[in-house]
Amino acid sequence: MEKVLLKKALPQWVKKLESYTIYSPQEEGDFWNYEVIKNAEIIDLDYLNTVLSPKKIIFPQREVLFEFSTSNEDELKVKEILPEERPAVIFGVRPCDGKALTLTDKVFGGDFKDPYYWKRRNSTTLVGLTCNTPPSSNCFCLSVDGSPHSKEGLDILMTDLGDKYYAESFTKKGDELLNSAKALFKSPTAKDKKDLEKIKAESKKKIKRQIKATEKIPAKLKDMFASPFWDDESLSCIRCGICTYLCPTCHCFDMNDEVTSSSPIKGERVRTWDNCQFPDFTMHSSGHNPRPDKASRLRQRILHKFQYFVELYKNYQCIGCGRCISKCPVGIDIIEVLEKARDYGS
Amino acid sequence: MVNLEELKKEASQILKEGKVKYIIGLQSSSNGLLPVPAFIKNPEDVEKLVWNPACVYNLTLFLRDEKRRKAKEKEPDEKPVGIIVKGCDSRAINVLLQEEFIKRDDVYILGISCENTGVLDEKKLAKKLKGKKAEKVEFGEKDDFVITTEDGKIKIAAQEVLSERCLECKAHFPVIYDVLIGEKTKRNIENPFKSLERIESLPPEERWKFWKEQIDKCIRCYACRSVCPMCYCDECVVDTISFVVTPDTPAEEKAQKIKWLEKSPVSSENFVYHFVRAIHLTGRCIDCGECERVCPLDIPIRFLNKKLEKEAKELFDYEAGFDPDQPSLVSSFKDEDPEDFIR
Amino acid sequence: MDHNTYIPKLAKIIEIKEEVGGARPIKTFRTQFLNVNDFSFRSGQCAMLSVFGRGESMISISSSPLMKDYLQFSILKMGRVTSSLHEMQVGDVIGIRGPYGNSFPVEDWKGKNIIFIGGGIGLAPIWSVLNTALGKKGDYRDLMLIYGARTSKDLVFKEELEELKKKMPVHLSIDVEEPEWKEFVGFVPQNVTDKNPSPKNAIAVTCGPPIMIKFVIKALEELGFKDEQIYTTVENKMKCGIGKCGRCNIGFHYVCKDGPVYSWAELKKLPQEY
Repeated sequence: MEKVLLKKALPQWVKKLESYTIYSPQEEGDFWNYEVIKNAEIIDLDYLNTVLSPKKIIFPQREVLFEFSTSNEDELKVKEILPEERPAVIFGVRPCDGKALTLTDKVFGGDFKDPYYWKRRNSTTLVGLTCNTPPSSNCFCLSVDGSPHSKEGLDILMTDLGDKYYAESFTKKGDELLNSAKALFKSPTAKDKKDLEKIKAESKKKIKRQIKATEKIPAKLKDMFASPFWDDESLSCIRCGICTYLCPTCHCFDMNDEVTSSSPIKGERVRTWDNCQFPDFTMHSSGHNPRPDKASRLRQRILHKFQYFVELYKNYQCIGCGRCISKCPVGIDIIEVLEKARDYGS
Repeated sequence: MVNLEELKKEASQILKEGKVKYIIGLQSSSNGLLPVPAFIKNPEDVEKLVWNPACVYNLTLFLRDEKRRKAKEKEPDEKPVGIIVKGCDSRAINVLLQEEFIKRDDVYILGISCENTGVLDEKKLAKKLKGKKAEKVEFGEKDDFVITTEDGKIKIAAQEVLSERCLECKAHFPVIYDVLIGEKTKRNIENPFKSLERIESLPPEERWKFWKEQIDKCIRCYACRSVCPMCYCDECVVDTISFVVTPDTPAEEKAQKIKWLEKSPVSSENFVYHFVRAIHLTGRCIDCGECERVCPLDIPIRFLNKKLEKEAKELFDYEAGFDPDQPSLVSSFKDEDPEDFIR
Repeated sequence: MDHNTYIPKLAKIIEIKEEVGGARPIKTFRTQFLNVNDFSFRSGQCAMLSVFGRGESMISISSSPLMKDYLQFSILKMGRVTSSLHEMQVGDVIGIRGPYGNSFPVEDWKGKNIIFIGGGIGLAPIWSVLNTALGKKGDYRDLMLIYGARTSKDLVFKEELEELKKKMPVHLSIDVEEPEWKEFVGFVPQNVTDKNPSPKNAIAVTCGPPIMIKFVIKALEELGFKDEQIYTTVENKMKCGIGKCGRCNIGFHYVCKDGPVYSWAELKKLPQEY
């Protein structure tokens, strides 16, 4: 389904969606982040890239899996806590971030479907926005099979045509959203379609950064596991968690018991994001650590994204959003690391 | 004015003479304005070194890595490491010496004076440039910065885009060094704790609201801890495991490790993290501001440390990083200290 | 919605046996599910054990799937969760989820000789497959166990081993001489060389400390065993047990899901990150 919406009518559309929880990018000081929209009038899709991707909504940093308690009869009870089912709409999803969810879908799918992830994923409608201009100077989606107007993972893609949005719906969930405010949407004219194609074509040209010959990298990395390359590349790494926590495709997590009473026992099992750059991530109870230094941890991050994930799922586990580059405290640049690896020893 | 060529010459010389193992300095970045760490071993690579107002990083944190690496080596090279420091960074070296984390012979200090300016605050600059991208920043002739954008060069008075900490800096030249580049210029700071005023002036409930909003944003990436040269402990309360565990550590000891805080990024746990860190930095923080710069969620972490720095100054007349031989704030007692309950 | 694998099933501890005392104690626990038991597993698989309020630990199941009355786990006291398990009493309730991981390819081994080689707590995963092979003795040819520990006190399943000697050759060893000890003195790999099992139509299964595994494999290679004839198990730190939390990987393999059982031929192809 394809429709156009006058820009000024966007808040009216949002108002019509009262049965949903609505998220949109909101400015917080010097950065943007997705938050629940409290007033439809404030919706603003003229934003730079958000610090955190919609991953934080579908796969929140903290989530209770179940509660446990001992009753008076000394009987232990376990109570499953699944996410509330109120459907959500996320506005202003960058196409790369939408694509990222198709990658986490693979991880949380498979033999063991993760009920927490899928409950949110299935009840969330993603309304994307074409990046007419790159939202970050470190965007490189074209190098990792993405595009500034990719529809992957999205239910609707909106494209800013100046005074209106061109809305393309790709799914039933998307159609429902457009149908919820039929009067606001018009059918696109021939000119709208022409404008759309022009903007989409231009959007690609505006992306400055790229990895050359990305396709050669996975095979190359396979032979570089034992290379001293990783020692050199990780010299400035400070082992913080920014690159992975901000990454829309990183999915690692920890599970811990948080106790509110120790006798009788009462508490929750909680899942929180975790991070391959932290030294305790892989450290055995015995003190043995298969990834004992920052070189092995940087290697894990790069190899997971550009070798292991490709071996498992045939996709890069990177969508080219550039967050890890822009926010790295010491300027470690995944594009640079990959290009150096590609050319290493040749 | 600081002459970059002089720095390169000194660096090249100490490498050629074999005085240092390598030099920790800064080089241009592929992806942003701020120069990034360079670990220079060969004299010819000193050409990579840069010095400009975007040289924000405090490189002394890498002395932690050097120490860990050396501890693992069977026959470590005992030569010092060359390190390029600004005034604030040099104070970090003094604290590390005071705490005997490093020895004076471990470092060869190439000190650079910030003279009348300091380093820039990228966010202030971005606001000033209103969306235009700064491609290059240089020191100007008259306490100003020369910014190159796609539209050409513009001059901005340093005061307008300087980091807040530089505006409050008490010693904008290195206080410990082997070589000094630039001059120890005089500068008058009216109130080194001026930035605190806007929070201190708030009534308690608003102050609480302010901090709660800020701390709630924390995603516990621990970048503030990781970038801090003082956060060098092998065992940190926030880690799930102690890194000093060996195969012989009894199970009981591991099992009894106190869980001070949960991994959940909720108010209570985030507060514990940030307050524990702030307390542990009292009398140690030298206000390099790196914790605040690296925070992806812009939490004004520096205020916490600055507030404690102010308390230390007002109550105990204590300042961190000026004297490697002074007793530490929290483990020493003087007769004239306030609070007579301790006597 | 699919079954929620994160929710542990409750099980009661029905028996606790102290295998090894001292500084590195080992206890064997037998458990029974409180509700209907639909827990079917294969030898080599593991289960995530919960001590509610403390957390979880991945433990290999040391009983044979042929034994339907209980699940057995032999546990070395190592960290938070295993220390709590060691404090538990008969009648206490724990959580169990799983089974997770792959298993020993016992179907493929039919008609072969099997040499089991264990060290310390490494006998636990072997115990399950050994008892399965023993229970279906007609399916396999000659079975042999080579097992050792630091001292005689550190050997697990002491009584069971005496029983086992009546059914198959059992070669025990300890690292240093003790007055009463009549069997082999030396490290497990040395005992392997000493007992000289034939590689002909044979499979060797080895579990134990990483350093022991390394030298056992070397000893087996010297005896003429091919990479495809040697099987071992790998352990890494685990949380989810289902290949999602991201920490136990060796290359693109998640040990919790794709392991813990590997032939040496398979393991050799993966990065050395365990």
